[in-house]
Amino acid sequence: MRRMWWTLLVISLVMAGVRASDAQVRGTIFGPGARSYPVAVSPLRNLSAGGAAANFGTQFADIVSADLNLSGFFKLLDRAAYIEKPETSGYTADNINFDNWSVIGALALVKGAYSVSGDNVTAEVRLFDVYQRRQLAGVRYHGPLGELRRMANKFADEIMKQFTGERGPFDTRFAFVSTRGGKFKELYVMSPDGGDLQEVTRTQTINVSPSWSPDSHLLLYTSYKRRNPDLFVVDLASGRDVLVSSRPGLNLGGRFSPDGSKIALTIEDKGNADIAVVDRGGNLLRRVTDSWAIDVSPSWSPDGRRLAFTSNRSGAPQIYIVGVDGGETRRVTFSGTYNTSPAWSPKGDWIAYVSRADGGFNLFIVKVDGSDTRQLTQAAGNNEDPSWAPDGRYIVFSSSRTGRKKLFVTDLTGASQVQLTRGGGDDSSPAWSRWLE
Amino acid sequence: MAVRLRAVAVLGVLLAVLSMGCSAKKKGAAAGAPGGGVGEEGLAAGSSLERYKQGTLGTGEEGPLKDIYFAFDSAELDEQARSILRDDASWLKDHSKAKVEIEGHCDERGTVEYNLALGTKRAGAAKEYVVALGISADRLTTISYGEELPLCHEHNEECWQKNRRAHFVILGE
Repeated sequence: MRRMWWTLLVISLVMAGVRASDAQVRGTIFGPGARSYPVAVSPLRNLSAGGAAANFGTQFADIVSADLNLSGFFKLLDRAAYIEKPETSGYTADNINFDNWSVIGALALVKGAYSVSGDNVTAEVRLFDVYQRRQLAGVRYHGPLGELRRMANKFADEIMKQFTGERGPFDTRFAFVSTRGGKFKELYVMSPDGGDLQEVTRTQTINVSPSWSPDSHLLLYTSYKRRNPDLFVVDLASGRDVLVSSRPGLNLGGRFSPDGSKIALTIEDKGNADIAVVDRGGNLLRRVTDSWAIDVSPSWSPDGRRLAFTSNRSGAPQIYIVGVDGGETRRVTFSGTYNTSPAWSPKGDWIAYVSRADGGFNLFIVKVDGSDTRQLTQAAGNNEDPSWAPDGRYIVFSSSRTGRKKLFVTDLTGASQVQLTRGGGDDSSPAWSRWLE
Repeated sequence: MAVRLRAVAVLGVLLAVLSMGCSAKKKGAAAGAPGGGVGEEGLAAGSSLERYKQGTLGTGEEGPLKDIYFAFDSAELDEQARSILRDDASWLKDHSKAKVEIEGHCDERGTVEYNLALGTKRAGAAKEYVVALGISADRLTTISYGEELPLCHEHNEECWQKNRRAHFVILGE
């Protein structure tokens, strides 16, 4: 994929002496879900002769807006309310009429300009504090026009850094399975703003449980295309699809270790599901569990030393943690009679999981030591398949709240839950990649 | 980009089809299934996956071997299930060359991965019981489809009950 040959250069941070900590508003004043911070994301002004790539500036603004909407921090101001015309107005601190923005209620403003030369674009984008009438951040991007989405996602990450002190999670991808193309679940990848949807498989058979390699180049998934549920890895850039594990029975839910050197998965032994760790070629390194009970859905701790997993060894499925190299197995969840799908947060502090509660299946998070259980969804269909954003502040999941299963993103309070996918078919098993570079 | 990816996907499918062709041949030879049992794409002709692909899942798969049903999140055989399995075992005794694949299925509730493991348990429980009744384990294979191939698509217990099943596919006699 073109991502591999990306020549986009973030040439300079036009910082104007402003550091993140100088921003007027930080995370302590508002949290995600508050949607309290009004921001205007103006289409970039086209400086190209002859108006080449006329849509670039609007598309850039649309993508940044979609990302910021997902974050739950911001209230995106309606473009119809803008007083200035982006095609004629200034875009640097000394020639923006900030009154035109404060009067419509904007506290933050994104403006910029771009020029196209052949297949390449140079875009200069700035974030302003409208109240203080000054620039908070500025970035100049140069690269192929086709890298529009990554430039916009990167700028959204930068806006998040300015306002919260932490980079946003938008220069990433989602993998998921969907029946939008037919009767079978096939693999897709998509940008967090909902764009750039790509079909990865067209196998006409059952495909489940996609997950990313740490470098975001490979997807592990389980497919019935050889009749048995085998584990495959597909390289998104080349399309090369390789069989990793084809033990008789289950080869399910493969997950790369954080360093990418190993894969944890569920295999079958004497008619029962157990957790194992294999190398990238599928050779067995270690049996992690060996019980009469169902052990399934391993999720690595960020240090790669432990695995969270689901087991029904107590009689019903609960979340447990085990050392990869042995050591004691510890139960994490004690409330509820059906807890599955553990996902260890990238910061290491939380485990997200699904619990049968309130007449349906709902998303919870719990501290790794079993304390501080929080319910994130309720009274809104079935909510399953949690996967963490690389910044540890958001979770993508599937929900049937609108009928068919669709993808949603929530913050860690549940206050901001934004729908990502629409249309026909069921979208499920989302996996959020790490940052792309 | 889209074009390149599509080309790549087509290549992937081609490779998959080629590799399936190989494995199907090997499998057919190993199992010694004369003429039938293994479909041209490597699927058991009567398997639920093949039927779903053909659009015939849930229509006319009633054979001499009857399905058994399970409670939610359970792979335990109740008396009714054991009774059906005794009938199935006696048919298998009468048809000593028949090989059978036992499919484990679940209802839609709960997690995809957990249900795939539960389906494995269900198929395994059925197999174990039939083996205990004197049928050679060599004649019985198992596969789990989890919640992926429901017979009934409404979201209620009446429907779910039909989906929590172990289904028998005769591969060859």
